[in-house]
Amino acid sequence: MIINTISFDFSAITGFEIIVAVVGYVIVFSALVIMYYVYNNIPKLINIKIRQRLEKEGKYKISENEELHIPGDVNAAISMALYLYFNELHDKESNIITIKKVSKQYSPWSSKIYGLNE
Amino acid sequence: MKRLFTIIGIIAILFYISTAFINVDKQENSNNEKETTEVVSEKSSTQDTQSESAARKGISRFFDYSGFRNATPGHLLMLLVGLFFIFLAIKYDYEPLLLIPIGVGILIGNIPFMLNAGLKLGIYEEGSVMSYLYFGVTQGIYPPLIFLGIGAMTDFSSLISNPRLMLLGAAAQVGIFLTFLGALILGFRAPEAGAIGIIGGADGPTAIFLSSKLANGINILPDGTTVKNLIGPIAIAAYSYMALVPVIQPPIMKLLTTKKERIIRMKPPRTVSKLEKMLFPIIGLLLTAFISPSSLPLLGMLFFGNILKESGVTKRLADTARTSLIDIVTIILGLTIGASTQADVFLTEQSMLIFILGAISFMIATAGGIIFAKVMNLFLANDNKINPLVGAAGVSAVPDSARVVQNEGLKADPSNHLLMHAMAPNVAGVIGSAVAAGILLSFLL
Repeated sequence: MIINTISFDFSAITGFEIIVAVVGYVIVFSALVIMYYVYNNIPKLINIKIRQRLEKEGKYKISENEELHIPGDVNAAISMALYLYFNELHDKESNIITIKKVSKQYSPWSSKIYGLNE
Repeated sequence: MKRLFTIIGIIAILFYISTAFINVDKQENSNNEKETTEVVSEKSSTQDTQSESAARKGISRFFDYSGFRNATPGHLLMLLVGLFFIFLAIKYDYEPLLLIPIGVGILIGNIPFMLNAGLKLGIYEEGSVMSYLYFGVTQGIYPPLIFLGIGAMTDFSSLISNPRLMLLGAAAQVGIFLTFLGALILGFRAPEAGAIGIIGGADGPTAIFLSSKLANGINILPDGTTVKNLIGPIAIAAYSYMALVPVIQPPIMKLLTTKKERIIRMKPPRTVSKLEKMLFPIIGLLLTAFISPSSLPLLGMLFFGNILKESGVTKRLADTARTSLIDIVTIILGLTIGASTQADVFLTEQSMLIFILGAISFMIATAGGIIFAKVMNLFLANDNKINPLVGAAGVSAVPDSARVVQNEGLKADPSNHLLMHAMAPNVAGVIGSAVAAGILLSFLL
């Protein structure tokens, strides 16, 4: 019923509409391409200082292509190892057993005197 | 299905009851008229008969105001749609946080009542409670608040660690602009077509925001005609397709990829430093706002929410934005969008066309992402290829399409987890669709 009433009017698309579609898509695409380039280079900029410091200290010689980050799966493995290690640790105990007198503060809510009948 | 049939049966019974009441009432009315003429001519009615007729009038008025008297097939159809939404949400877990409020909203918006009686009940009646809540939709207030919450809950790490996946989010936006042209061919005016096209972005808040600006029933076109109010159908179409992502996307994904492509393993994302996470929203805000200032209400709030999260010093604000605030807005938004589907306004040929265009738009967007991933693979080294399934997540239905990619990836290879990779084009899609909305707004307003 609806399909019968659908009419196609290709003349509705004029130069303006095509410009809107094409230019619009190009802008969206270029916006994300710019973001891609920016975010692709930010880690390199951040790492420049770290590279310089490490090389200055002579602790670590880094090649240009080497990345400074630790991969996620390595991080996960380290976290798991630390978790297991700390989970197996016990509190250090003094091994001295004593009987301590526990002094309780007086409280009318727990006082026996008010609960006794004469 | 049994339950569905039961619901349909109940609705059918209600419909027959309502028609029966209408017939009985009509007879009563004619009898009343006869009686009143007799009373006037004879002038000898007793007090008892007067009170009897008053009571009858009261009952008749009560029925005039009741839903049974005012029900139309359109109302019953929309009530069925509302019940179907609730059924989908509960039974199949399709976006319950959206479909339950929308489904209940449809029920509330389609309870038949006497129009023009000054009851101030309908969402389109000035002064009604629902119309006040709907104000936030028509003025585009709720979508930026939703974006604030999304920003505060989204972790952009996957995108920052692999920025090339951002291009997939851009590629998927092709659906918006092709549907814009399609809507023009089908007879919609340019601003209406722009608002319909954004359904392909698969982003409910963006669709509502743009339709509230372009197809709001208020703007005057250059030829003096008023633009149509398409907020309700566009919002319902956008949210319906977002909920139906697990149904719509997998066949397209399978159609456009080979088994060999579906099992491609991607490099695990690298760890992202705190500084990078903090810089992302600030740079993103400045870049996108300068390119497309019209999208500032959406992207400004998105990146603001993300700054709250990543700065680490506004935990309380971030917690509120991603929990209480977004929940409150989602409840009101879903309910009012549902209620805006009042049968007499919603059940039009245009709404059906919008639904068809929305589905096409969504499919084109999915295909656009997948095809672009395949094109990118032509230029990438063998050990650094992209699984084309990830391209399907370029539509901005966060995180549903990423979840669908993960499921489809697991079907091809049970040990290949694509979720983290798919989240990157998914959030890029949110940014891309918001930029597209801003561009359409600046061109067509």
